[in-house]
Amino acid sequence: MNYVRPSTTADLLSALQEDGAAILCGGTDILIRMRRGLLSPRTLVDVSRLEDLRGIEAVDGEIHIGAAVNENTILRSPLVAERLPLLADVLKRLAAVEIRSRGSLGGNLVNASPAADSAIPLLLYEARLHLVGATGERWVPVREFFVGPGKTVLAKGEFVRAIAVPDPPAGARAFFHKIGRRRALIISIASLGVLMRLAGESVDLVRIAAGSVAPTPLRLDEAERVLLGERLDDGRIREAARAAARSVSPIDDVRATAGYRRQVVADLLERFLRQARNDET
Amino acid sequence: MKLQMTLNGKPVSCDVDSCARLIDLLRDDLDAKSVKEGCGEGECGACTVLLDGEPVNACLVLAAQVDGSRVTTVEGLSRDGELHPVQRAFAETGAVQCGFCTPGFIMATVALLDRTPRPNDREIRDALAGHLCRCTGYRKIMDAVRRAAELTASPSAGAPGQ
Repeated sequence: MNYVRPSTTADLLSALQEDGAAILCGGTDILIRMRRGLLSPRTLVDVSRLEDLRGIEAVDGEIHIGAAVNENTILRSPLVAERLPLLADVLKRLAAVEIRSRGSLGGNLVNASPAADSAIPLLLYEARLHLVGATGERWVPVREFFVGPGKTVLAKGEFVRAIAVPDPPAGARAFFHKIGRRRALIISIASLGVLMRLAGESVDLVRIAAGSVAPTPLRLDEAERVLLGERLDDGRIREAARAAARSVSPIDDVRATAGYRRQVVADLLERFLRQARNDET
Repeated sequence: MKLQMTLNGKPVSCDVDSCARLIDLLRDDLDAKSVKEGCGEGECGACTVLLDGEPVNACLVLAAQVDGSRVTTVEGLSRDGELHPVQRAFAETGAVQCGFCTPGFIMATVALLDRTPRPNDREIRDALAGHLCRCTGYRKIMDAVRRAAELTASPSAGAPGQ
């Protein structure tokens, strides 16, 4: 196996044209898979120090986070702490500090784990990914980025340069919870996030996202439609919870059964909606 | 491939296989045997070292990636034959049983106190969350970190036995 560390985006693009080239950033996932024999790239292309994939900056009402920025650096960013509190909250619980020193937001997204917790705040904030390839560049909304477990829309030779996260809508509140066997560093059995705003008694804005309950992290559109513009009474809350349970497609695995996951999604949504209503009155 | 780094304050150059991990380089080529391989997958924390001051699992870093960086292991902590305050704290509080996990816990504690000199228990638990001790438990390790914070704040007040 070869190791190369391109120092420009142009060098990176040409390195990625080679057969058997794989991107190495923090290594917290790919090195494990290589050791387990699940992956054997011919060349590892190290992007962890590439200037174009680094930095956190505010650009026109968005925060742009370089895909290779490690998670501790994101957590220490005053911009993120102030404007994207839910992202900070989720990253803090994502992994041990030693993993966060290396792991990047871009890497976490590209792995496309159905359980990728970091996808939940990005789905709620409606972030976009900046993809760069040999034939050009494009912006892809995070909800269109995941195709299936371990699969994304990235074409061969294309890479994620940055993640652009719009400022959350003014006055919106965010909720997130993940269910796991223990509190720390655990792969989620199910996770749910809600971003919502009430105008008087009715729901003015609502976004709901769930992880570990479908082939990819996803937005729960049907439950959102049940709620938008409506009063948050008990009946409406229960109907939204039922819609959420209907729109996920979990599986049985070593961590939990599909039925349990479906129930957790419904219960968490119900809990958050009641909390939002009670806090308002 | 050739790489250069600073290990425990001393410049070193070495020739590494492109498949070698930082833990392989440290243990096999540079004799830093404090770095332990437990799980090899970033779950146990026994191989924790500081890379440019940040705690990392040496089993999850490719050796080639540390070219030009500073690496610190337990071997680099003591000064003039005196134990580092964190090492002293672990010894004083009896936070060591078999000792396999201890270097990782010590490096994580050094990293924690570097940024948070007076950590609360929550901050200590968060900093140690990536470390497993299979001998006994974590109570004395928590004591050790609290003690290390005291010793770091005022080394002269650190008479053995508190």
